[in-house]
Order: sequence, then structure tokens, then C-alpha cells
Amino acid sequence: MIRFVVFSLKRAWEGLWRNALMSLAATATMTLMLLLLAGFWIINTGLLAGLDYTQSKVNVVAYLTDTTTANQLRDLTARVEAMPEVETVEHISRDEALERFRERREGQGEEDLTRFLDSNPLHASLEISLIDATRYSTVRNRLAGEPVVEGVINQTDLVGSVLTVTGVLQTAGVIVLVVIGLIVLFIIVNTIRLAVVARAEEIEIMRLVGASDGFIRWPFVFEGALVGLLGAAFALGILAAAADPLGRFMFDFFRVLPLELGSLARDVTTLVLLTGVGLGVLGSWVSVRTYLIR
Amino acid sequence: MGRLPGARLGDSLASEVASPTLPADRARTSAVGDRALRRLPGDSSSPLAGDVRPSLRDRLLRRAKVKSRSDRAVLVLHDVSKRFPNGKVALRDVDLTIPEGDFVFLVGPSGAGKSTLIKLLIRDEMATRGEVVLDGHDLARLPRRQVPRIRRKIGIVFQDFKLLPKKSVWENVAFALEVTGTPGRRVRPAVDRVLSLVGLTAQARQLPSQLSGGEQQRTAIARALVHDPRLIIADEPTGNLDPLISWEIIQLLLRINELGVTVLMATHNADVVTALRKRVVALEEGRVIRDELGGSYHRTD
Repeated sequence: MIRFVVFSLKRAWEGLWRNALMSLAATATMTLMLLLLAGFWIINTGLLAGLDYTQSKVNVVAYLTDTTTANQLRDLTARVEAMPEVETVEHISRDEALERFRERREGQGEEDLTRFLDSNPLHASLEISLIDATRYSTVRNRLAGEPVVEGVINQTDLVGSVLTVTGVLQTAGVIVLVVIGLIVLFIIVNTIRLAVVARAEEIEIMRLVGASDGFIRWPFVFEGALVGLLGAAFALGILAAAADPLGRFMFDFFRVLPLELGSLARDVTTLVLLTGVGLGVLGSWVSVRTYLIR
Repeated sequence: MGRLPGARLGDSLASEVASPTLPADRARTSAVGDRALRRLPGDSSSPLAGDVRPSLRDRLLRRAKVKSRSDRAVLVLHDVSKRFPNGKVALRDVDLTIPEGDFVFLVGPSGAGKSTLIKLLIRDEMATRGEVVLDGHDLARLPRRQVPRIRRKIGIVFQDFKLLPKKSVWENVAFALEVTGTPGRRVRPAVDRVLSLVGLTAQARQLPSQLSGGEQQRTAIARALVHDPRLIIADEPTGNLDPLISWEIIQLLLRINELGVTVLMATHNADVVTALRKRVVALEEGRVIRDELGGSYHRTD
């Protein structure tokens, strides 16, 4: 068994170098295709994170009547928090609301006019962030029925538009990724097939001298895995080299998004390695198979 | 890469193989043929003459006969027909028994079914009807996993040599052992032995492209021999070679035959067939039209 594995690995290594041109073509194709796949994966991950971020900005804001007591407030907050659609509830008191308003004006470079007011005209409010933005109407309607709620900002149309756009983009992202994945699959399998077909005579001779299927198949499968591994290594090398300048360029983009760079890098590495080796093995297996079934 | 220092020795060995010792050889090999004749079963004509349906007893008898024949014969074909999926019938009712140690020429025009017959023997194709029994194994009943094992009992030599261009002579021969899982320590002595048998010891490290056609074919024969086969099948082995080199290859096959290996050679080379007076099996349109000992290439009435 060990001898068989050693033999297969030795033959795979030999095959890789004896057919250097074909191996080079297959490895180059593998590298480019994996780069394409990784690129789209990164863009898709960024897009999804961006859409999540947009959706997380959808809040239900309920203004409370000025006569609301502390008990009523506690009661309402507890009931809203208990709703399955709700993620967090934040109470903004009238003073806090005024403070925020002032900060915003200042940020815009406008003069603060609130100091001319006798009293605070703003209402206290509950800012409710949702687990799922599609449940906006349910939460809004529940709150509108509460006696201590003076009014709820009606953003239904806006939220609806945002949801439509993000939904389309998410679906499109997944479809594009699947299509890219299939293209990569077919191109890599076909390239490896070419490399195997170029050695049809070798397989023919192996069959004629009485080599069993395993002895014919496994060297090619290992060779495919080797091409996949090399292609993945090159692709990851190029990505690593590009990550730093690209990261600096897109720093703002990444800072805004709740994107964990560490986990993205890990995902991309896993994706590239598994896809490379997997498709290398699959391509060889399928290609050699046609010569074995007789 | 230049020629190796030892090339001279190899050349002399090769010329020994090629030396025209034909008359003596002919006498010796015809004696072998006579022995083969005595061992050949007497009832080579089919017991099933006419259109009468065979009774159960006849069928059982026939099966017993086939079995007893197959015990001694390297190869038995019984009532073999081959029809391809496109409807073309390549072989019709072929009966052929090759006893151990025989040297048989398979002749016939192109398209007569020679190649199909050879494909049946190495189980590249399966017979549509009839039995192909190789060394006691019915190829139709052989599980797929056993096929490689059977192929190791056959050494096959082609017109176009089928050598791997990027491997040396030695590696080409060793390849046949390596891909069948032979332990490394047994590869070297076996390869050295067959290379010296075919007179290529000095050329062992050269690539096929550095060899003459005859040397390439001798490499292929060495590869065919390295598994100690029961049967050597040579499909037009001299088709690409000039007459002198062809004789060199034939001499080598005869010598191998004398060592006890059965040889089946498909050929168009009328001179060789007629000169050697061996057993000749002639195919035409998929039928055996002639099977005679000491025959010539053309029908001699």
C-alpha cells in the first residue's frame, strides 16, 4: 500500500516535469481561474456585508408623548424587547434628543438656534433596531397602537425600496458567483483533460502491459492535485501581494463595513486551496475514467 | 546525448541476432512445428457439421472437449463471432486452437479481421458470440478486475512500437513492471535479462529517438517479454522496417519461440511467411479460410 502511494506520487511528480508545457498551461489556467473565483468571492462578501450594513440602518423610531411616566416607559420597553423581530431598543430622552440635534447642526457647520428656545421642543423616542428589516411593518404597526406612542415615522416605502434593491443584489451576487464557479469548473476540468489526453498513448501502453486501474488512475489524480496545489499557491501568493496596496486603497470601505478581514482571508485561503485541489483531482479522475471503461 | 562507450558490444550482439542463419534455423523450427502438429487436437474440424441443432449430449461433449483442449492450449477460440454496434461483422464462426510453444502466422488482407481478433485476445473487445479461452480463462466470464492479470500473460508488439519517447530503453522496459506493482528489487534483474536477450544492453540508456527502427522494435519485444508471458502477439511487427531489419526481428521472435514462448504473428510479409513454413492461419472477411502447417502466404493448391 505504501509502495503503491510512493509509486503514484513519484509517477505524478515525473509526469508533471516530463510534460512541463502541459503542466505549465494547466497550472497557469488554474491560477488565473482561482484568482477570478477569489476576486468574485471577495467582491461578493463585500457586497453582502454592505447590504447587511444598509439593512441594519433600518430603525423603527417611535416618538413618545411627553406625559409618559417612567413606569410606562419601562413597561413598553420590556414588551418591545420581548418581540421576536426586535434586536435592541434604545431610549432617547428629550435632553438627549436635543443634544443630538445640536451636535448634528454643529457637524453641518450651521449656527445653533436652539439656544433661543424657551423649552425643549423635541420628543423622547424609542429607537428600535430590527433583526430582520423585512419585519418593519409588523413592528411599526404594533408600536403605533400603543397609547404612550405619539407617532411612528412612516418609512415603509423607503424600507420597501431598500429591501427590493438589497434582495436583487444579494440574489444577483450569488448567481454570478455560481456562474463563475461553473465556468472555473469547466475550464479547469477541460485543461486537465487536455493534459491527460496528451498522454493517451502512455495510458494505452499501461493497459496493454497489464496495469490495474488503480496504477493507471492514481498517478494522474495525484498529478491533478499537484497542479491544483501549485495553482492555489500561486493564486494565494498573488492575492497576498495585492492585499496590502488594495487594503490601503479600500481602507475606508472596509472600515465602514462590519467586515472581519481575518475571517475573510481565512475563507479565501480555504476556498482557493479546496477548489484548486478538488478540481485538479476531479478533472484527472473524470479524464482518466474515459480510458479505463472498456 | 552521444552514444555510450559500450555501444560496440551492443552492435555486435545485434548483428549476431541479425546474422542470416536461416537454413539451419528453418530445419530446427520445422521440427518444432512437427511436434506442434502431433500435439494439435485431431478434431480441428467442427463436430457441428450441417444445420442440425446440437443435442444436449453433443453440447456437453463439446464443452468437455473445449475444456480438455484448453488445458493444454494457450489459446482456444470456439465459434467466435464479433459484430460491432454499427452492424459490421468483423469475425464469423472462428475456431482456432494454439497449443503451447506454437509459432503461428495470422495472414489476410486488410479488413479481414486480424486486428479484431487480436483485440479479442487482449480483451480490448468482447466476442459477440462464442468463447475465447486464454490460458484456461474464459475471457467473457472474467471479472473486469482480473483483466490486467490476464494481460500480463500476453506480450504484445505493434507495428508502431508504442514506446514512450521520453523514457530510455531501460525505463521503457522497466515501465511494464513498475505499473504492475513489481517490487523494485525484482525490476532491475528482470529488465537486464530481457535487454541482453534482445541484444540491447549497450543501448539501455538511450532514448527511442536515438535508436534505429529495428532497435526500437527490439525494445518493444523486450518489454513484451519482461512479464514472462505465455503468449507473444505481434501485430505487423515488421510493417515499418526494411527487409533486412525485418529478418532480424523475425529471427528474434523465432529464438524467443524456441525458449518456449508461444508466438502469434499477424503479418502481410509474404516472403517471411512463405520462407519459414510455419503454421499459417488465413482470415478473409472474418472467416478462417485456411489453417495449415508448413503453409505459405498464398494458397498453395
